[in-house]
Amino acid sequence: MKIRKELWFGFSLMAVILSTILVLMPWGNFTDGHLGLLMLALIVVAIMLGYPTAFTLMGMGVFFAWLAYRSVNPDVAVAQVLDLMVQRTYGVMANDVLIAVPLFLFMGYLVERAQLIDRLFRSLHLAMARVPGSLAVATIVTCAIFATATGIVGAVVTLMGLLAFPAMLKAGYNIKVAAGSITAGGCLGILIPPSVLLIVYGATAGVSVVQLYAGAFFPGIMLASLYLGYVIVVAKLKPQLMPPLPESERRVPLPPFAQAQSQRGRHALTGLWRALAGGGAQKRTALAQLVISLLPALAIVALLGLTYRAATAPQLQEAAGLVQLGGLAETTGEQSTQSEGLIGTPEAEEESTGLQEPPAEEAEPAAQEEQAPAEEGAAGAAEEEPAAPAAAQEPQRQPAPTWFWVMLGIGVAVLLLIYWLWSWERLEIFKRLLSSFFPLALLILAVLGSIVFGLATPAEAAAVGAFGAFILTAIYRFIGNWQAVPAQGRSAGAVATRTLKDFLGIIKESSFLTARTSAMVCWLFVGSAIFSAAFALLGGQQLVEKWVLSLDMTPLQFMILAQVIIFLLGWPLEWTEIIIIFMPIFVPLLAHFDINPLFFGLIVALNLQTAFLSPPVAMAAFYLKGVSPPHVTLNAIFAGMLPFMGLQIIAMIILYTWPQLGLWLPSVMYAR
Amino acid sequence: MQKALLFVDKISTFVGHAFSFFIVALTLHVAWEVFSRYALDNPRAWAFDVMIYFYGTLFMMAGAYTLAKNGHVRGDVLYGFFRPRTQATIDLILYIVFFLPGVFALTYAGYFYAAESWAINEHSTITYEGPPLYPFKTVIPVAGAFLLMQGIVEILRCIICLRDGTWPSREADVEEVDVDKLKAELHVKDEDIQKLGEVIEKRDGRA
Repeated sequence: MKIRKELWFGFSLMAVILSTILVLMPWGNFTDGHLGLLMLALIVVAIMLGYPTAFTLMGMGVFFAWLAYRSVNPDVAVAQVLDLMVQRTYGVMANDVLIAVPLFLFMGYLVERAQLIDRLFRSLHLAMARVPGSLAVATIVTCAIFATATGIVGAVVTLMGLLAFPAMLKAGYNIKVAAGSITAGGCLGILIPPSVLLIVYGATAGVSVVQLYAGAFFPGIMLASLYLGYVIVVAKLKPQLMPPLPESERRVPLPPFAQAQSQRGRHALTGLWRALAGGGAQKRTALAQLVISLLPALAIVALLGLTYRAATAPQLQEAAGLVQLGGLAETTGEQSTQSEGLIGTPEAEEESTGLQEPPAEEAEPAAQEEQAPAEEGAAGAAEEEPAAPAAAQEPQRQPAPTWFWVMLGIGVAVLLLIYWLWSWERLEIFKRLLSSFFPLALLILAVLGSIVFGLATPAEAAAVGAFGAFILTAIYRFIGNWQAVPAQGRSAGAVATRTLKDFLGIIKESSFLTARTSAMVCWLFVGSAIFSAAFALLGGQQLVEKWVLSLDMTPLQFMILAQVIIFLLGWPLEWTEIIIIFMPIFVPLLAHFDINPLFFGLIVALNLQTAFLSPPVAMAAFYLKGVSPPHVTLNAIFAGMLPFMGLQIIAMIILYTWPQLGLWLPSVMYAR
Repeated sequence: MQKALLFVDKISTFVGHAFSFFIVALTLHVAWEVFSRYALDNPRAWAFDVMIYFYGTLFMMAGAYTLAKNGHVRGDVLYGFFRPRTQATIDLILYIVFFLPGVFALTYAGYFYAAESWAINEHSTITYEGPPLYPFKTVIPVAGAFLLMQGIVEILRCIICLRDGTWPSREADVEEVDVDKLKAELHVKDEDIQKLGEVIEKRDGRA
């Protein structure tokens, strides 16, 4: 019976489209433009029949382009169609935006195969153990960062379905909450840059991918934090849905050295100092731990130092350059302050090792600054050191602005907080995060940073990211193989050989998958290039414009109409098809309504996320269902996804109400 | 018959696999170029052209391979619910109506496009004395020809399916989401999932 219902649904949708077109067509005075609209309606129906879209577009494009040319001059129509076809194809082949697509795909496939998600989830789970709904929170954070790096919804949802879903259900979590957080989290990779969707939109709409990435950064983080906030609030209000973890699950297993030391005192830094001063065989271990402990301090000092350099850069360039540099520095500052407690910059993670982060303490940095204990003095001195000589050598350096001192205060306060709470358990958690979370976060931030700061084009950054993924995969595979062998019988040589074999296999698989997926996306572009040319030749675009303008809508009405259409198209079509076929129709209309195409792209990206979560075609749900026990029904999964869909709509409303959320970063960085 | 079909599949797959290693070459090429530009202060003018060549050739030559693995995106609202015969009918008609004219036009036009490029010994104009462009343009007819060949095989598949009522087999290839492999990677066994089901059942019964 179910099958029949689906078929009925599809056919009635087709019938609605066809009959609307047949009724609306002015059969009396049929022009070429109407032919274009007819083509557009036919393409939707043809796509729904299930034939590969790229070739549907190609075939229809060729036919209708021929019709268009024939109406002008029948003699040369065929030659013109052939020319159009090959030139459009060559245009896609030589497209310098789309070149980033295979590279990001390749990076994603490599990261997915690095066997990293296991460590990532477990370390985050320990780090979040005291947050309400900790497992769901850890799931969303893992999904967000892993999905961002890989961008493959199916793989992320399947992996988390195997890893986090059982963990959550065993801990007594409600099925709906567990399913919702996995499916919603797995889809975050579509929005948070570096995402392939934004490249495809940029290539189609002619918007700079760099600006799209800069623009999507905060909305992406906002959506992730909305999810997190929702989960935490629900866990607080209804603890029966997400019971807190038992004490045994929260305990961090300590290595022998730390265990011995922790009996003498809770605080790790003093303990390490004692061990170092005491000397003996454990001195090397203690030193290593101390170095690890000082990493957060180093990171913050380095960041502050860089900011100081950028903020006080000498006034050598012309005014425009200076503004840009100042903006640059401000951005770093803002990023580090805004993303605290979120997934983003390293400091945020250092705080999550601090677990309890009372924001009130941060609000009074000055008060904290005065109570600096001994070990802080060292860090503070190191910080002043590089700045002072630099200032002496270059007297024309700008004086540091006030916000820098505020940032410095906050940085020092954060450091104080971290080291005040630095217990043995937290040191252990930090070590685990260091081996799972930070490398991936660093890879993403490096790729994103080099794009957004203009050091590399998206394609170059993607290639460097893929190269980084090479290294990451090799290292993690080596560690995995190393730990798989029992301690007495292992030799570095044998493990290295095995790793190399694994590694070559991974590269082969990832290359094949990359070739197939990029062929899919790019042949779609080839097809649509011809199709949209035919649509333009027939004058369909003018007709659509005339019609839309005759409706006399306000920008808000137009925006809502466009988003509703895109949302509805999200049912029968995939996001690639929606963007590649329909964006060329929407984007030229934006100028009439004074809507920024960049901003429109961000809203569309948010909107298409909902398509992944809207029943009955939500792919994420089917992937999760594929790896869950039969007791978990599809309906339960759909029900779990609904609140997250609501959050996505709220996110769209927030973004529409405060466009600065998306536009501020690009406007600061690229001073439009 | 089936053997002949699989043989053409194998050719397409071999070509696709061979060209898919262009992504590794592309990655290394660009990574080295970025390193060379920033660390060695030695950018190479032809790097951008080569990037484009790698990318364009990669996806064009993988077209037939993707078709052989049924990897081109389909609108999957209805298609999956049709019986194989219905699927084959739709595919057969649309292969003849859309695919053959479209891809034939591409190959035919591509042949002359490339021939002209060879005739004038065309070089890239992005940089001064750019690398030759004619090999890159030759990719269009070559990729089109492979795609056309694979398309004819797919048409034959449709006919076989119409006759037998089931789709003839394809050779397996790497899957994007290979559930069994992912399970093995995380050491999850089917029994574990079964057990989890019992846990839920017990809990829901109690609650």
